[in-house]
Amino acid sequence: MTPETAFQTLLGAPLAAAAISALFFRRSRWGAPVLSLAAAGTILWVSLQLLLGWDGHEALHTSYTWFKLGDLEFKLGFLLDKTAAPMLFTVSFVAFFIHVFSIGYMDDDSARGRFFAGLSIFMFSIVGIVLADNLFMTFVFWELVGFSSYMLIAHYFDKDYAAAASKKAFITNRVGDLGFLLGILWCWSHYGTVDFQVLENAKLAGSGVPAAIGLLLMCGFIGKSAQFPLHVWLTDAMAGPTPVSALIHAATMVAAGVYLMVKLSVCGLFAPVALDVMLWSGAGLAALGGLCALGQTDIKKSLAYSTLSHLGFMGAAVGLGRPEIALLHMSMHAFFKATLFLCSGSVIHACHHEQDMTRMGGLLKKMPVTAAAFAISGLSICAFPYFAGWYSKDMILTAALVNGNYGAFALLAIAALGTALYIGRMFRLVFLGNANSDEAGHAHESNAWMTIPLVVLGIVFSLGAGWFLSGTHAAEGARMNGLFPASATEFLAHGYHELHHTAAEKGLVLPMLALGVIILVVGLGATLSFYKKTPGDDALRVKSPKLYAALERRWFDNAYDWYIANVQQRVAEFYAFFVDKFLLEGLTIRAIFAGIPAVGGILVRRFLFTGRMSDYAAFFVFGVILYFLYSVVL
Amino acid sequence: MPVGILHHLVLAGVLFAIGLTGVLVRRNLIAVYMSLELMLTACTLGLVAFSKQNNAMDGNLFVFFIITVAAAEVAVGLALIVALFRKRGTVRSDELTSLKN
Amino acid sequence: MSDCLFYIFAAIAVAAATLMVASRNTVTGALGMIAALVAVAADYFLLDAPFLGVLQVLVYAGAVMVLFLFIIMLLDVDKTSHERRSAAKWVLGAIVLGATVGAITYALTHADLGAAKAAAEAAPATGTEALAAPLPHGTTAKVFGYGLFTKYMLPLQLAGFLLLSAMIGVVTLVRRPKE
Repeated sequence: MTPETAFQTLLGAPLAAAAISALFFRRSRWGAPVLSLAAAGTILWVSLQLLLGWDGHEALHTSYTWFKLGDLEFKLGFLLDKTAAPMLFTVSFVAFFIHVFSIGYMDDDSARGRFFAGLSIFMFSIVGIVLADNLFMTFVFWELVGFSSYMLIAHYFDKDYAAAASKKAFITNRVGDLGFLLGILWCWSHYGTVDFQVLENAKLAGSGVPAAIGLLLMCGFIGKSAQFPLHVWLTDAMAGPTPVSALIHAATMVAAGVYLMVKLSVCGLFAPVALDVMLWSGAGLAALGGLCALGQTDIKKSLAYSTLSHLGFMGAAVGLGRPEIALLHMSMHAFFKATLFLCSGSVIHACHHEQDMTRMGGLLKKMPVTAAAFAISGLSICAFPYFAGWYSKDMILTAALVNGNYGAFALLAIAALGTALYIGRMFRLVFLGNANSDEAGHAHESNAWMTIPLVVLGIVFSLGAGWFLSGTHAAEGARMNGLFPASATEFLAHGYHELHHTAAEKGLVLPMLALGVIILVVGLGATLSFYKKTPGDDALRVKSPKLYAALERRWFDNAYDWYIANVQQRVAEFYAFFVDKFLLEGLTIRAIFAGIPAVGGILVRRFLFTGRMSDYAAFFVFGVILYFLYSVVL
Repeated sequence: MPVGILHHLVLAGVLFAIGLTGVLVRRNLIAVYMSLELMLTACTLGLVAFSKQNNAMDGNLFVFFIITVAAAEVAVGLALIVALFRKRGTVRSDELTSLKN
Repeated sequence: MSDCLFYIFAAIAVAAATLMVASRNTVTGALGMIAALVAVAADYFLLDAPFLGVLQVLVYAGAVMVLFLFIIMLLDVDKTSHERRSAAKWVLGAIVLGATVGAITYALTHADLGAAKAAAEAAPATGTEALAAPLPHGTTAKVFGYGLFTKYMLPLQLAGFLLLSAMIGVVTLVRRPKE
């Protein structure tokens, strides 16, 4: 298969599946799921073929002219390079298993056609983002993922909160996308190109780059990846079905923002100021999200805060000038966070759509596979040594230390502690102790559609996705490296080993390992014992209601509410009543509308509107003669 | 002065002007319609003259299509006049003033 | 000889057309119209387009004008409406007539009528451009048919379709609404 055919198949298969499902299989029970799964399978198969057949060095690139305006040429192109390869593998792999899981999870849903068509259109868009070779094309697919995210959050659109959440996600993303679009246009006017390869080959220094371009492009990341201060939509987005939360709002779409930042960072588009902004907002959000996760009893919302926290980690890694590590964490995060969400989905499904963790409990024996997958991916997210998450998360902390950013290091360490705390709490509340409700009491293990993805993503990949980093580089000519295609690991391994080497020179490897283990033991030990005391309720809520309320409180939502109600609403009212109603409608339009007939009305009515056809014809002829005089004689 | 293209075109122009006058001064819809047809014929005469002048067949073919379309147009137009007569009882254009105001 | 014929037919055409416009009786007008159309058809013969001349007599002076006469008699228009002749109307008519003839004469005398011919002869078409180029002039029906079925195939089909839709339209229009 030539790369060109492969690219076309990667985009064509999900689009075709979405179109056919949406047009013909809206009511069908099996048509849309099977088509959608087949499309996801095709994507996985083709991308594996593509990655295994690629040497990992020379970028694969095809480009078509989309349209031309004079000298201006818009191109559609596909680019598989060192950054796109790991992203492509992660996205296609995780997405395929989430599709499998969805078939089990959505078995009792009446709108499967809409759901699976949405998943397929999402796959089309995300693959488009991964393979886009310029920023304009990225933007097009960027908007498309926004659209599919909106559709899937609103899957239960008859529920008010889901409809509101989808609107919120869409509008919040618009705010970020406006900045992103301005950034793209500025980049274009400043450098004359938005092509990733051209930008990368231009070897922009980083310090001579206008900071504003980087900051504006960052807005896209802030919106899509739910970074501070636009992070408010992600927790509400959990109103969508759980597989959607796993795929879009944890593993892939929100990570697409990080992916874009990595790509632009490799191109050198960020000035130091922009990197600093990203570092501090990322580290801050990591700590904030890690702690806020403790203030939620809804299992999915708690995990959403965890996602925020980890997106903060990735942003911080980009800000530290380590895009490789950011991409590595994005990839590892996709595996374990998808698993965590799928576990929560499995639990929610078993407990008949009960999402409150305090009403669960004791599911360890009833749902052993889910519990095992949760435990392993939980240890992975807490950076248990040699689990997938350890390789990336530990390295981000190390990078902060190596760069000498002690403040950021402290924030990230707090975030790491927060991770251990909320994972311990979640495991304690959901799987240990006794069942706290009838639903939890009658729960049983999910079917194979749901457990197989849990085993593959949770037990295999959350554990071993990072093992390719333990060895040195891949053996010459090897097609696989650990669990990854060898070509996809080049970029990640290079950055990892470089940072590891620097850390080893400074003697930081063992202390970091020790610190990680201490955080892990303290965090897990504390929560496992602390949350034992109050079955049926949240221990923190019982012990310290004020602290819990502070964590639960939605500071930014309230601030936005206040701003919209008291500032924007007032301005809008001013425009609506004074400018629009009074100035435009009253003084301008009505005055003219009433004035002209008053002056010329009698003349017009008497001589023009006679109603006789021949008069109208005479006016017409008169006009033609006038035109003739104007054009020929004059 | 030998007869050339100019003569034919002037004839076409005069016929066109007569037709136009008829459209404007007549009140009987059928007469107006016949005047319109006369204008159309004047135009086709111009086309035929140019066709000969340029030694090209295209003008003549165009006239063929005009005659075809005119036949269809007359059928529909007269049908409209019949329908109008049934509804209003008149075909005088100055009595059909529902366009007024 | 043919010059003489042109002047005769031109005179007939203008006189008949004037009769058609000026006559109060619609049947007289229709007969004038037929005469004008036949005179124009004779002019087509003089312009080396005999096929069109025949077509004009058959379709226009024949079918179309018979349809007009048929409708005139069916509706009995002259009884229901008598044209009033006001002076203002005829002044208007004279002005329009004068202005139009003046404009057309002006345009004709100022236009370079040989330019298009020169351009067509300067660039003879060859190869693939032949289809887009003007078809050579001919007097036979064969040349006519050749043009219709090669270069103007699509318009011909469309004209056929137009006739069909006109037929359907007429049937729909004149059908009496159900009481």
